Amino acid sequence: MARAPRSVEIRSYQVGFGDCFLLSFVYGPTDKRHVLIDFGTTELPVRGQPRAPAKASQHMPEVAKDIARVSEGRLTAVVATHRHADHISGFATDARTGKSGEIIAKLKPKVVIQPWTEDPRAARDARKATRDSSASRRGFIAGLGAMHDIAAVVADLAQRRASWFGPALAKQLRFLGEDNIRNASAVKNLIAMGKARGAVAVWARHGSTSGLERHLPGVKVHVLGPPDLTQTETIKTMRSKDPSEFWHLLAGRSGLRDGVPLAQGLNGGRRTAGVPAEARWFRERLERMQREQLLEIVRTLDDQMNNTSLILLFEVFGRKLLFPGDAQLENWSYALVDAPTRDRTQRLLAAVDVYKVGHHGSLNATPKTLLWERFAHRKGNGRRKPARVLTTLLSTLPGKHGSTQRKTEVPRTPLLKALEAETELFNTDTLSFAAKNTELCHTVEVKP
Amino acid sequence: MSKKTARRRARRRRVTPGGGAPRPAMRYMSVIAQDPSVKNRSGGILMAKVTVPAEELVPGPIGYRVQVVDYNSTTRKFRDAHALPATFGAQPKRWRDGARSLVDDYRFHAQNVYALVMKTLARFEFALGRRVGWSFDAHQLKIAPHGMLDANAFYSPGEEGLVFGYFPGRTGRTIYTCLSHDVVVHETTHALVDALRERYLDPSSPDQAAFHEGFADVVALLSVFSQKELIAAMLRRPASKSPSRTLIHRKDIAPDALKDNALLSLAEQMGGEMEGVRGGALRRSVTLDPEPGLLAQSEFLEPHRRGEVFVAAVMNAFVDAWSRRIDTSGAPGQQLYPIARVAEDGADIAEALMTMWIRALDYMPPVHLEFPDALSAALTADLEVRPDDSRFELRRHLLRSFRRYEIEPASPVRNLPGIWEPAPAGLRYDRVRFDSMRSDKDEVFRFLWENRGTLWTRHNVSNLERAAYSEVLSVRPCVRAGLDGFILRETVAEYYQVARLTVAELRKAGITLPAGYQDSLRRAQRETGERRSAALPAAAASGLGRSRDGFAEDDEALTTPIYGGGALIFDEYGRLKYHVHNELFQPERQSRRLAYLWEAGFIQTGRQGVRFRAARLSTMHRLRSMDARRYPAEAW
Repeated sequence: MARAPRSVEIRSYQVGFGDCFLLSFVYGPTDKRHVLIDFGTTELPVRGQPRAPAKASQHMPEVAKDIARVSEGRLTAVVATHRHADHISGFATDARTGKSGEIIAKLKPKVVIQPWTEDPRAARDARKATRDSSASRRGFIAGLGAMHDIAAVVADLAQRRASWFGPALAKQLRFLGEDNIRNASAVKNLIAMGKARGAVAVWARHGSTSGLERHLPGVKVHVLGPPDLTQTETIKTMRSKDPSEFWHLLAGRSGLRDGVPLAQGLNGGRRTAGVPAEARWFRERLERMQREQLLEIVRTLDDQMNNTSLILLFEVFGRKLLFPGDAQLENWSYALVDAPTRDRTQRLLAAVDVYKVGHHGSLNATPKTLLWERFAHRKGNGRRKPARVLTTLLSTLPGKHGSTQRKTEVPRTPLLKALEAETELFNTDTLSFAAKNTELCHTVEVKP
Repeated sequence: MSKKTARRRARRRRVTPGGGAPRPAMRYMSVIAQDPSVKNRSGGILMAKVTVPAEELVPGPIGYRVQVVDYNSTTRKFRDAHALPATFGAQPKRWRDGARSLVDDYRFHAQNVYALVMKTLARFEFALGRRVGWSFDAHQLKIAPHGMLDANAFYSPGEEGLVFGYFPGRTGRTIYTCLSHDVVVHETTHALVDALRERYLDPSSPDQAAFHEGFADVVALLSVFSQKELIAAMLRRPASKSPSRTLIHRKDIAPDALKDNALLSLAEQMGGEMEGVRGGALRRSVTLDPEPGLLAQSEFLEPHRRGEVFVAAVMNAFVDAWSRRIDTSGAPGQQLYPIARVAEDGADIAEALMTMWIRALDYMPPVHLEFPDALSAALTADLEVRPDDSRFELRRHLLRSFRRYEIEPASPVRNLPGIWEPAPAGLRYDRVRFDSMRSDKDEVFRFLWENRGTLWTRHNVSNLERAAYSEVLSVRPCVRAGLDGFILRETVAEYYQVARLTVAELRKAGITLPAGYQDSLRRAQRETGERRSAALPAAAASGLGRSRDGFAEDDEALTTPIYGGGALIFDEYGRLKYHVHNELFQPERQSRRLAYLWEAGFIQTGRQGVRFRAARLSTMHRLRSMDARRYPAEAW
C-alpha cells in the first residue's frame, strides 16, 4: 500500500446554491480514496421551458450517481460541515431530493465527520464536546434546535403572507428560513451512516483529530473550527452569559415538543378591527418594524448556524487544501486570533494552495486581512509572480441571497473580482446547465 | 340648601389664577420597583410609589407627552385603550401590594410604562431646568407596551416610539420587558438623549457609539437605586449577620460590601431571562475591574462592552460616595446604622448623581463625543449648579473612579480639575441683543459670526468661513435648581457644522487619511468615471484634472464630510461662560475620527460619494444581547 497520495482530484459539483465537493486522494492506479465534503442545495439554476429552477429531486440523484461512479462504490469519508440545507439536503433519503441520500449511504463511508454541535450525546449538555458532563443544562445545541423552529415558522409565514411582507422581503425570508429548517431526514441519515457497521462518527472541534488519519496515510488533516464553548469561554472569562440564551428566549423552552411559542405568536394571522383612529398611524409603523426585526432575527440565526461550520485544512505532499464550509468571522476568529496555536495556524494558512471559498462568496466568510491578504500564492497586485498560483473553488448561485444595494449580495462582487484577478477560479456558476448538455462538475487536479 | 352643601359649593367657587378649582400638580402611581422577580417581604412583587406630573389622561392612556398604544404587531391585535385609576387611592389594592397577578394585568402594564416614562421625562426637565421635547416634531411619544414577540426593547426615532417586546421565559411564563423599570427608563433615556444630542447616533468615535448605551444604562440604574424602598429591601438581607431587620452593621457599608449587598444582590434577583435584553451592565459594573489598557482592548471597542466601562465608572463612584457618606455621618465608633437612613442616603445620592449626568448633556460637545468630554461636562455642569460639593463629594468620587478606568477629563484646567475652560476673553456683545439671545437662533448665529475670530483660535482657521454649512440647532433658556435651593439661570445653545472636503483639501487641513481609504475613493471614482464616460465620452476622454494615477484629488463629486460643533453656555447676563466644542479644522481629532470610521466599517464609498452608516438601536441591542463581536475590517 502506498504511504502517501501521488495526487488529489477535486470535483466541485453543480448544486446551485449549495456545496458539494469530492476529494479523491490518488494512492495508485487502483487505489483512490474519496472524501465527500457536503452535499446540499437550496436552489438550482434555471433551465427548460418555461424557465424554472431545476428540480432537486431529479438533479441530486444524478450528482449522487456520479459520486458513486467516480468513487467506484466506496467512500472513505463523508463530511457535513454544518447542518444548513444547502450543505446537507442531498443526504436526505426522502423524495424532495429524490432519495439521493440512499445512494450516498450505499457507498458506506468509513468515517462521518460533523462538527461537535451535531453530536447527539452533546445535546444533553452542549458545554463540552464529549459526554463527560451530566448536568443537563439548556445549552448551545438546544439553541440550534430552537433556531430551526424559528426558521420553520418564518419560512412558512413568508410563504403564506408574502403580500404582507412585500415581494423582496418575503423572498429573502423564505430563502433564509428554508435554509435553516431542520432537515430531519438528512440528519438522521448522517447519524445512521456514522453508526453503520465498520464506520466511525467523528464530532470534531478546533484542535481535535478528524478520524481520517488511519484511512488517509500521508495526509494531515487540521480541524481549525468550530471552537467549542469551553474554548471560547477561556477567552470570554468576563462574559457572564451565553449567547445561545438569546435563541431560547425567542423560541421559548428548549426541547419543547408541543408547539413553539414564536410559532404560535407569529401565526396571529388576520389583523383585527377595532383599533382607535388615534392609534392607526403607529400601528402601521409598528408592523413595519416587526417585519424588519424578523428579517434581522433570521439573518442573525443564519450567521449563528454558519458559525458551527467545520473548517478543515488538508496537508498533502506539502500542498494545503482549505475547506471552511460556511464559517464566518466569529468562527474563524478563534483559530486566527484567540487560540494559543494561532501563529502556527496563520503560517499554515498563508501557504494554502486550494481554497474553497467560504459561504458561497458572501461578504464575511473570507476574512479579508486575517486570511485573504495573507494568502501567499495570490497573483497580481504588482507583486512578484508566485511560483504556483492559488486555486479557488466557488460553489454559488447569484441573485439568491442578500442585495447588491446593501452590499450583501452573494457572491459579493469585490470578492468575486479579487478571486478572478488573483487566483485560478473555478466557479460552479460557469458550468453549463442546459438540459442537453449539463456539466456536472469542475475537476481540479493537485499534484506535488 | 344645607349648610354643608353651601360650604362645598363655596369651596368649589374659590378662584385660582387659571380659573376653576385648584388641581394637584403631582400625581402618585404604583410601579414595579425593578421587575417582577424582585420580591417584597411577603413574597409579592416589590413595588414603589413614583411621583409624576399630574395631567388629565384619556384612555390609552394618552397624555400631553405620551401615547400608549397597546397594539401587538405579532398577533396583530389591539388589546385595549386602558383607562388608568384617577388617583393613587383608586388603584386596585393588588397594584399597591404587588400581587403576582400584576404580571398579566395589561392595564397595570400601561400604567407602569406611562409612569416610568413620565417620571424620567420629569427628571430630565428638572435637571435641565426647562421643557425637553422629543427628537421629532410630534409632542407625544408613542409607546407599545406589547409591541411584538421579541426578546428586545428599543427606541425608534423614525417611528417616534418605544417598542417593548415580550417573550416566553424558561418556565413558559411570558416575560414582559415593559415591566422592567431599568428597561423602560433605558429606552426613554435613548429617546431623550436623541432629542438633546441628535448627532450622537451617528458613528464618530468608539466612545460616542458606546455612550448612548452606557448613558441609558447609567440613568436606568440610578433611577432604580433612587427608590429607597428598593435599597432597603436589598440591605435587609446582607451577608453578615445583623442583630435586627432595621439595622445594618458598619462592615456591611464598606464600598465592597455595599456593592455586594445592594448592586450585586439586585443583579442576582433581577429577572435572569431579561439579561438577554438588557445585558449585564449592573453585574458588570461590580465585576469589571479596572486594568491598564482596558479601553484599548479589541473587546472593548465593541459599543456594548465599551459602554459597560462607562457604567462601571459611574456606579463605582456612586458606591464610594454612598459608603463615605454613611461613614462620615455616623458617630465615632458607631457600629450599627439604621437601614432606613442608609437607604435614604443611597437613594439621594443616586438621584443627585443622575441629575448631574443629565445636566452634563448640555455641557457636552454636540458632535464627536469622547468619554473625557463627558466627564468634564459632568464636573462642570455640577460645579455650576452645586458649587458646594462637601455633602456627598460626588465630583471627587467621580473623578477618582473614572481615573481608575484610565479616563481623564478632557479639560486641562489645573486648579479645578476637569472643569471646562472658561470662554475666551475679548468677546464682543455690542451688536447682539441680550433678549433675543435667549431664544433666537439667528441672533446666536450673529454672535458666532461677530466673534468668529475669537471663538475658534486654536487652529488658525475660522470655522465659520470655511464650513459649508453651519446651523444653530437650538437656543434654550434654563432655570436650574440645586438640591440646596441654589438657583442658576443659563441659556444653552448648540450649533453644528459640516464641511465637505476633497482629498486635496483634507490634506491641506492636516487631516491624515486612513490606509486603504484613498484606494477605496479611487475605486469609487473610477466607477463614477465609467458611468460618466458612458454618458459623455468626450469629457472622460479628455481626462482633465486627473493626476498620474487617474485619481483626481480635487474631484468635487467625491468629498468626505467632516463635522464640528459646539455648545454655548451663556450666563444670566447673556455673557458666554463656556464654549464646549469640537472644531471642524482640528486635524488630530478629525484624523482619529476618520481612522475609526474607516476601521469600524462605517464609511461607504460608492457612486454617490462618501456615506456613513447610522446606528440602529434595535440592532445595537440585539448585538448586545448576543454579546456579538464584529470584525468590520474583515468583510468584503
